[in-house]
Amino acid sequence: MNFRTMQAANRRKTFGLLMGMGILMWCVVYASLTYFGGSTAGIVPIAVGIALISVWGSYYGSDKLVLTMTGAKLIQESDNPKLFGLIHEIIIASGMPMPKVAIVVDSAPNAFATGRNPEHALIAFTTGILDAMDRDQLQGVIAHEMAHVANRDTLVSAVAATTAGAIAIVSDMLTRMMFFGGRRDNNGNGNPIALVFSLIILILAPIAAIMLKSAISRKRESLADATAVSFTRNPAGLRSALEILASDSTVVQQRSTAVAHIWIESPLDSKSVSKLFSTHPPIQERIAVLKSMESLS
Amino acid sequence: MEIIIAVAAVALIALFLITQYNRLIRLNITVDEAWAQIEVQLKRRADLIPNLVETVKGYATHEQSTFDAVVTARAKATSATGVADVAAADGMLTQALRGLLAVAEAYPDLKASSNFLSLQEELATTENKVAFSRQFYNDNVRSLNTAVKTIPSSFFTGLAKVGEREFYEVEDPQDRKAPNVKF
Repeated sequence: MNFRTMQAANRRKTFGLLMGMGILMWCVVYASLTYFGGSTAGIVPIAVGIALISVWGSYYGSDKLVLTMTGAKLIQESDNPKLFGLIHEIIIASGMPMPKVAIVVDSAPNAFATGRNPEHALIAFTTGILDAMDRDQLQGVIAHEMAHVANRDTLVSAVAATTAGAIAIVSDMLTRMMFFGGRRDNNGNGNPIALVFSLIILILAPIAAIMLKSAISRKRESLADATAVSFTRNPAGLRSALEILASDSTVVQQRSTAVAHIWIESPLDSKSVSKLFSTHPPIQERIAVLKSMESLS
Repeated sequence: MEIIIAVAAVALIALFLITQYNRLIRLNITVDEAWAQIEVQLKRRADLIPNLVETVKGYATHEQSTFDAVVTARAKATSATGVADVAAADGMLTQALRGLLAVAEAYPDLKASSNFLSLQEELATTENKVAFSRQFYNDNVRSLNTAVKTIPSSFFTGLAKVGEREFYEVEDPQDRKAPNVKF
């Protein structure tokens, strides 16, 4: 597979997963209507509203918010001309506007990108990654981060977070109603099998939503790797950068799960989290994909 | 009712024509912008060269032929116009610069000087920028040429006064050294 087919495949999979999220939402609505009757229909728009407000704020101000959450400091060209030179290279290769650049003082090698659109993009690097990597490797990392910006991954993850959040709110409200009020629909002609199914859907939906959200995040990481190669046409640079990240056991100090998905390498201990819930594909798998692209060129 | 349908049909056709026309114009402008970017980066590289040559001269006095090659190639590159000419001059200059850096390898004092090191980094990033702007230009020429040749956008090339554009192809002698496959 070359990077073009990789990009197309990952876009298709993201679309499928977002559709899956929509279908899940629809199932939850259907289940709540079956179980509680028409009186609960009003809960769904409320839940979507709450989820939208909470996610939209962090999406719109993502560049500033993430700066405070990760302790990153904005830098100017004069602070690190070499890094800016490398970023300029990717800007030219991708035809995108110059992002804001920030540094996180942390010895663990890592990097991230955020921002609601390419004009408000922010890319950040830890001091550890700048020390550990040579020119080609750093170029690969920058290309991966700019690929997130180009693919609008902040928007994709915001959409995923909104739907997952709304599903969580709906099923939480309904589970409470079940506990306090029981079924409102007392006409007694409900199909018992449909009722049991609805109950199971309501209980399992939030977990399924989180799994879908993680799967979307993993697909966006693979897509960013492929897009990075389309910018640099040099899979070897990103591949050896990922090898350094894989061999390095230190992790970024602040382990806030809220921003775990934005780093190039997950700062959470991947061994303790099941693959279904992890925000990144296994790093060895990413290295293998890049190696297969190298053998093409 | 028939009037509404007729108006809607006309509006749809007009919308289709406008999108096709605008798409060609937009692609053509992107190619122009990509070309401007190549020129900016080539100019940057040309500006770096006198300084680099002077620095190397300070340590390596007996390499006059290498310096001459770089200076001649630079003069050609700065005066070239048109895609094919600029690309050819660019290839020659890249080649001459490789020769200059190879010469520098033989002088440990030069390689250790901080002035040379910063120039080398600047040259490395500029070479990459030239290469990336070339790649970006060629990618955009590819989309434009595809649009010019494929239906339906191909019908609008005359109206939009947009035609196929030339790829930026650098003659690199190193590429020719690819091993021959014999059966």
